[in-house]
Amino acid sequence: MLGYGVIRGGSLCRVLAPQRRCLASVSSTSPVNPNSVGPFQVFDRHVKQMQKDRAAARDGGERSRTVDYVRSEIADALAERMQDIKRKFSSVLDLGSGPGHFSKLLDTETAGKVVMLESSKKLLNRDPDDEFEVPVERIHADEENLLQIIPPNSQEAIVSCLSLHWVNDLPGILVQIKEALKPDGVFLGALFGGDTLFELRTSLQLAEVEREGGISPHISPMTDSRDMSNLLGRAGFTLLTVDVDEIKVAYPSMWELLEDLQDMGESNAVVGRRHFIHRDTLVAASAIYKEMHGHEDGSVPATFQVIYVIGWKPAPNQPKPLERGSGETNLKDVLEH
Amino acid sequence: MKPTATTATTPLRRLALHSTKTCAAPASAYGKCILATYMDVQKDTCKAEFEKFGACVREAVSKLQRPVNAGDIIP
Repeated sequence: MLGYGVIRGGSLCRVLAPQRRCLASVSSTSPVNPNSVGPFQVFDRHVKQMQKDRAAARDGGERSRTVDYVRSEIADALAERMQDIKRKFSSVLDLGSGPGHFSKLLDTETAGKVVMLESSKKLLNRDPDDEFEVPVERIHADEENLLQIIPPNSQEAIVSCLSLHWVNDLPGILVQIKEALKPDGVFLGALFGGDTLFELRTSLQLAEVEREGGISPHISPMTDSRDMSNLLGRAGFTLLTVDVDEIKVAYPSMWELLEDLQDMGESNAVVGRRHFIHRDTLVAASAIYKEMHGHEDGSVPATFQVIYVIGWKPAPNQPKPLERGSGETNLKDVLEH
Repeated sequence: MKPTATTATTPLRRLALHSTKTCAAPASAYGKCILATYMDVQKDTCKAEFEKFGACVREAVSKLQRPVNAGDIIP
């Protein structure tokens, strides 16, 4: 999704601290071939996995735990939606689970066990089993290849809490999720929407234009709530529910936001991104951020827009909407009384 | 969400501290200039404001720790 790629190589690191490893995470050994056939590659998955691994390893996982606040909040909201489903699932698959923000909230009344699937091994194993209420199984694999790991028609419920915004082929993963579900299985998802971090996006763009005379991608492209309902419908889900929520977090300045994003493993991983931001541009962006979006008390806000989706795999015994025009009660009468 | 430490240890923390706290006034002037023209920003629209801001940050950063090679830090 988010954030700044990297500050490296520029005068800052080399000059001021020649021996220190700076905020660098450039190298990618995975070849992303722009001429390859298949889904368009927006994100470098290999870089993303490295960023997550590093984030989870920093200070023995402490830094990563400190910045759980956004994900925990959203996992909580998603868990509430799950509890509205009056059903006990024998097993729930948590796709792109991270350390299990969502899985930790499952109780024994909802799920018999939880299977966490995550591409970053360090993040997957960050938290011990005893923090979970239900038995946990961990699979280290890339969620983009879901059907190669999970057999079709095998899952009662699949949940994805804030991982889909790094998937290259969103329509494809939704189809895979639907295939992996049993008939009448449910998919619950939460993903970052298009307004996420718009403050940082605009500040960096303005700073780059004014300082350097051009812009480059620092914040990923993100999906829209309308797109989500279309995509879910196209993937073959029924009884769709899509809603949007916003979380605003206040930071002392842009710098703390950048640091936290990095600790979340949410640094920039767009293919073809610039691998550094010039020091002047960063400094300029921080000033613009504060002046354009800042609060009166001197802090700056960061918006996280979240799209929550629920979709069901069709089954013959599932309730279906009635035929159009078959209603017998006038809604007006109900609402007026 | 840790507050900026008063004694910043890494180069980036120092930059963060000086660009927000030490040089708050020129930073604000630069931000206001962008805010006034953000519908039509072009390269160097606020060059004069940034030069003051940049000079302030550079001076503050170099005060704390002398750069290894002073020639490199001034673009």
